[in-house]
Amino acid sequence: MEQRDDWHLTEAIKHELGRGDPFAAAVRATRMPMVITDPAQADNPIIFCNKAFQNLTGYEREEIVGRNCRFLQGPGTDRQSVIRIKSAIENGTNIEIDLLNYRKDGSTFWNALYLSPVRDVAGHIQFFFASQLDVSARVDAQTEIHRRHDEIEREVERRTAELNEALEAKTLLLHEVDHRVKNNLTMIGSLLRLQARTINDPTITAKIEAMLERIDALATVHRRLYQSDNVSKFDVGAFTENLVADLVGASGRDDIDTATDIEPIDIPSGNAAALGLVLNEVVTNAIKHGFADGRPGTLKVSARKSEGQVTITIEDDGPGIGSTDTVDGLGRVLIKRLSRQVGARAEWISADPGTLVRIIFPMEI
Amino acid sequence: MHRPQPPLSVLIVEDEALLAMDIEAMIEDVGHHVVGEAASLFDVEALSDTLDPHLAFVDLHLAKQTSGLDVARLITLRWPRTFIIFVTANPKKIPDDFAGGHGVISKPFSRSGLQSALRYIEEGVCDPPPTSPQPSSFLASPAFAASWAIQ
Repeated sequence: MEQRDDWHLTEAIKHELGRGDPFAAAVRATRMPMVITDPAQADNPIIFCNKAFQNLTGYEREEIVGRNCRFLQGPGTDRQSVIRIKSAIENGTNIEIDLLNYRKDGSTFWNALYLSPVRDVAGHIQFFFASQLDVSARVDAQTEIHRRHDEIEREVERRTAELNEALEAKTLLLHEVDHRVKNNLTMIGSLLRLQARTINDPTITAKIEAMLERIDALATVHRRLYQSDNVSKFDVGAFTENLVADLVGASGRDDIDTATDIEPIDIPSGNAAALGLVLNEVVTNAIKHGFADGRPGTLKVSARKSEGQVTITIEDDGPGIGSTDTVDGLGRVLIKRLSRQVGARAEWISADPGTLVRIIFPMEI
Repeated sequence: MHRPQPPLSVLIVEDEALLAMDIEAMIEDVGHHVVGEAASLFDVEALSDTLDPHLAFVDLHLAKQTSGLDVARLITLRWPRTFIIFVTANPKKIPDDFAGGHGVISKPFSRSGLQSALRYIEEGVCDPPPTSPQPSSFLASPAFAASWAIQ
């Protein structure tokens, strides 16, 4: 009980230095707000507060002593935190917690409360000692960080949604353009076919037919490109297989056999149309001249990759002119110029029997 | 199954006049007869019950916001023996069961592509199974292809 009386003694100390308990004097003078409560009295009232505590809360000592600490709480104080403090007091344990408290003038501050029991030699709780620290700046900073974090998250979500929408719009547009290109190619083909049937001159009809085949080749290139998952690559092997079947089928010649040895060969799609037209000229020419006058035979077509080079071979077993002489004027020009455009070269070889044409180009033309 | 013999009677359902003319000409070229043309579902509804074509070529996207899939269902109801071939730039929009259709030709088609498809379809309709090689321009519906296997 001696110590208890000592605390009361400090109330009488009027000087900064000198008489009384020097520890009590230090507590009174420190910048750290502090209170002491007495759990032996009803409702555990404050029995001591220092000057710093008065400054922090705005109350005079007479307004503080004798009251329970909860008088600092207000409507914004977190109930869960209050319950935690209450149970710490009941269990006689330390607690460290940030609590929203109210000053006398109604303004709020974040109180970093540290509360601990003071025990006697027998271990019985004599007092509770509490120190307070105004940490409003730190709590506000954290709140601000959380707020900004949420704000950034919302912004990221918004931007992601925008990008997804843009991607959807782009995909939709691509499909729309693809659809229109297909329709236009179909209509160009129809126009030429309709015109061709009004012409009785076989020379002109043959030229229109050749044009039709070229447009068909372009249409096939487009169809294959947009059917694939990757519009940046074009499988010229599959295209060649397709082209040979179509052209032989269209010739109505069931006496022409085909033998193909073709592997998938991806080329950049930018070269697809030019190479497709070259192949169309060569295969068309082989069917027309290699198997002219109803002569049956076999059309051999291979497309292979080897040592960074692609070789597409079209071989008939006909009379074997062995030059481009049989190709009509425009066809010859197309083969020459379009091959050069995509970095390919065309070789015409007399194969005895027949004619062999090789289209050779480096991989990744 | 009903096996018509060539020349076949053909209905063309296509809203693009140029394409309709073109398809008609190519069908006549191989010896069949175009007995009717329609540009929308309403046109098909207006056709006479007695038309009963052997074969119908049906575009998916038709005039007056109507769909070739509905036309196919209507044809199946009105003329159950008619073979229905879709002609479309959007083959992916055809459901798995082909809405009662028998196959699809993709646009843009080439003259040779349409000719070989016509020959293959004629064989599949009149004298199955087809003996010509399967053309890349034509895809038979699973049900149509299965009907050849059980001959």
